[in-house]
Amino acid sequence: MKFIGLVLKGARRSKRRTLLTVMSVAIAVFLFASLRAVLDGFNAATEASSSTRIVTLRSTSLFFSMPTSHAEGIKSTPGVQDLTWANWFGGVYKDPQYFFAQFAIEPDSYLRMYPEIELTPEDRKAFLDDRTGCIVGDGLAKRYGFKVGDKITLQVGIPIYGTRDFDFNVRGLYKSGGAAVDNQSMFFHWKYADERSIQPGQVGWFVAQISNPDQATQVATAIDEKFANSPNETKTDTEKQFQATFVSMFGNLNLLLGSIALAVVITTLFVAGNTMAMSVRERTTEIAVMRTLGFPSSTIFLLVAGEGLMMAIVGGIIGVSLARLIVTPDLMQAGAFIPVFGVNNANAVMALLLSAGIGIFAGLIPATMASRLKIVDALRRVA
Amino acid sequence: MALIELRDVTKTYKRDAIEIPVLDRVSIDVPEGEYLGLMGPSGSGKSTLLNLLAGIDRPTRGSIRVGDTETSSLSERALAGWRARNVGFIFQLYNLIPVLTAFENVELPLLLTNLSKTQRRDHVMTALGIVALSDREKHYPRQLSGGQEQRVAIARAIVTDPRLLLADEPTGDLDAKSAGEVLTLLQRLNKEYKKTIVMVTHDPHAAERATRVLHLEKGTLVEQTPAAVGG
Repeated sequence: MKFIGLVLKGARRSKRRTLLTVMSVAIAVFLFASLRAVLDGFNAATEASSSTRIVTLRSTSLFFSMPTSHAEGIKSTPGVQDLTWANWFGGVYKDPQYFFAQFAIEPDSYLRMYPEIELTPEDRKAFLDDRTGCIVGDGLAKRYGFKVGDKITLQVGIPIYGTRDFDFNVRGLYKSGGAAVDNQSMFFHWKYADERSIQPGQVGWFVAQISNPDQATQVATAIDEKFANSPNETKTDTEKQFQATFVSMFGNLNLLLGSIALAVVITTLFVAGNTMAMSVRERTTEIAVMRTLGFPSSTIFLLVAGEGLMMAIVGGIIGVSLARLIVTPDLMQAGAFIPVFGVNNANAVMALLLSAGIGIFAGLIPATMASRLKIVDALRRVA
Repeated sequence: MALIELRDVTKTYKRDAIEIPVLDRVSIDVPEGEYLGLMGPSGSGKSTLLNLLAGIDRPTRGSIRVGDTETSSLSERALAGWRARNVGFIFQLYNLIPVLTAFENVELPLLLTNLSKTQRRDHVMTALGIVALSDREKHYPRQLSGGQEQRVAIARAIVTDPRLLLADEPTGDLDAKSAGEVLTLLQRLNKEYKKTIVMVTHDPHAAERATRVLHLEKGTLVEQTPAAVGG
């Protein structure tokens, strides 16, 4: 403990340099925690997926639709208890920069099969009764100030829905009851979109409720076999696999984000290491004097390494705190794709450990340099 | 028995493939309580001799004993511990740590002991009192004059109450008045506090304060003169 004062004084020697080093670690840790938050968000949605829901898409891509006539085929498949469907709408609210996800859903069955969409009975009824009604997540409502009774106008984003704007009445604000559903989206009646579609009767994906999760693979295979060799072949997966497929549309996120994080961390490691080495070189005489006074080389090593560790941990705390403040669904418009978006505790701990790792590794070479200094040579350089 | 006993100490440095002899079979005895001056031209080996006595350098051949300890055979770590307990070193350029106050600079060697914070404070204030700088405890080196800096350095050297003080040109960077104060202080430490002092100097006036002066030339002891003043 009595050496902490020395470590602090050492770090205050060049305040600007210390500040820059701390900030470089802070930025690296902030980026790491933010990128990790993206991956965690996607993974949380995948993990929270229901094991009794399976999703049927066109076998070619999520971007291609299927006819509603598939519904009967799917519903009649043994093991399927319930069925709903949805379309991606892709409308524009005021300006493309105000992005949020909108889904045209078959409202009765969708709300039945997604209990994670939590609505009051009054709001639920109001929504179901209004063909142009919609429900919005409370997070989205907070972001844009939507209230029950408001009118929302969306410009058409996908040409299939014509050219006229769509007007919606906000009939309810839902809460998210699980990571499978975010609170940043808007749901409205599929029929409302379909009746103005230039290609009516098309569905983006079907979601089937199955009775036995253990039979998910068999049911999925049976569904796909029904539509094999038809113009609209399907690919059915568990909801978890559907989420994973959705994530994979962005490419290999783990590799991409991991590579960015690694590059940032390694760069910071070199920056911090170089800064500390400079600091040690400047203090050659002081270190030699301390050795002359009887400080063992191990203590010198710990003092220099401790200084690096302290700067890195302070940087880490700043980085994690900033990430916790900034990386939230309210401030970052990623909630539509990432239902649970934020720096969780495990991520924060990992980021702090990373900062400690940067401090330890960046300090190793300078601390070794300092502890191996030959006293006589170091003193002679000045004398 | 002498406090310091050097026997046939030889030191050579290697620069690339060339061996440079610095000290050649030097033998000296320094009794406890002596104030020894070491004089000689540049390159004569006086600072090297001081470094060997301090245990921050090792002889190529020969032995060095200080008190009961054969310092030339100690490990690096043991030598560091021995230095902390037995040697106070005073540098020509003071070598105070600029980011530490006078108090913290003097406290530095005590951080290696098991003393409590209160005990450390008592020791530091006593040392600063001896060098008459108690009122400057919160000053940083840049806020002190050269003479005051050297007195803080002397306080740092005596704060652990070592038996041996080694001074390398302690007045070499000071004006005449400050040099006089520092030399008087060293003389007082020798007489009043019974410190054994070995001082390297170029300055004959400084050497006059020693009780004995040895001359080195080209690494060998050439002359031994009694100091004109001192004793």
